[in-house]
Amino acid sequence: MILTALANGSQHGYGIIIDVREISGGRVRLRAGTLYSALDRLRADELIGVDREEVVDGRLRRYYRLTPAGTRRLAAEAARLQAAAAAALTRLDLAGGMAT
Amino acid sequence: MTDQADLERGYRRLLAWYPPEFRRENGPEILAVLMAGARDGQRRPGLAESADLIRSGVWMRLRPSVPRSAGTVRAAVRLMYAGAAVSAAGLIIGLTLIVVDIQVAVRGQFLGRSLAAQKPFVITVSIVFGLAVIALWLWMARANGQGRNWARILSTVLFVVATLQLPGAFTQPVSHAGFGVTVLYYGGVEPFVAAWLVGGAAVWLLWRPASTAFFRPPGSTQARHPAELDRLRSSRARSPRRV
Repeated sequence: MILTALANGSQHGYGIIIDVREISGGRVRLRAGTLYSALDRLRADELIGVDREEVVDGRLRRYYRLTPAGTRRLAAEAARLQAAAAAALTRLDLAGGMAT
Repeated sequence: MTDQADLERGYRRLLAWYPPEFRRENGPEILAVLMAGARDGQRRPGLAESADLIRSGVWMRLRPSVPRSAGTVRAAVRLMYAGAAVSAAGLIIGLTLIVVDIQVAVRGQFLGRSLAAQKPFVITVSIVFGLAVIALWLWMARANGQGRNWARILSTVLFVVATLQLPGAFTQPVSHAGFGVTVLYYGGVEPFVAAWLVGGAAVWLLWRPASTAFFRPPGSTQARHPAELDRLRSSRARSPRRV
């Protein structure tokens, strides 16, 4: 989810929270603690990196971006989900076909 | 304006749960995110928000920092957390038994009588040592998870001590628990044996060839966690060392 939020460009922490909420249709509300644990882990796994730092209203803003490895991981994950969704739809179609 | 200051102070207090180096690196940013997400007029951090920060902070302190590929080390660390849980359960069982009836719990007649007279003392000592053992498990889990070689050696020493004490656990009313620290302990032999087995499995995992690669040789300060490297680099950039 966080990787998806970073897919079309770098984002800062609060931007990711807003983005994730939008992507999930309001269902997922990331909390700051959870977000930064996840960011730290993703950085350790070298799936994301720090793009740049800015100071806005006297507060530090760090922008994160996907690394090539992160992009690959996201693509693989998306393909896997797509395959699973396609399998589910195919089976539902079959079940529907049998019912009629 | 004072509402905001109050709120910020509240958040800062919660951030104290994080490890200092993580806080130095990410604290201002997390604070900015928290303040951006606050409701108008909010004066104190919400309950769920606070729980999330404390949970993340504590986990940051405890979690292993060896790479994911160090499966055996990570498994050993998980076992040590399990060991801490076993020791905690043993402490609770032991305390219950002491409180219910020290005579039943203590299997030696004369010892039982003399100790029964000192119930408060025994309870205090049990709690202090019980907590010490749990702290020892957590400390070892953390240090081994950071790939520290001294921790691997100390864990092994503790396990050897525990093994030496094992026969005593079956025969003496005053027994031991955990990795090998002597503890006044009346929970019966089972929790001790369980803790001993967990400790043994953890030590075995720590000395597997697959684990050895992740333990730094003494004297080496090389950091393996890439984020840690980033942190080191940026802190060095910020504060050039003056000799």
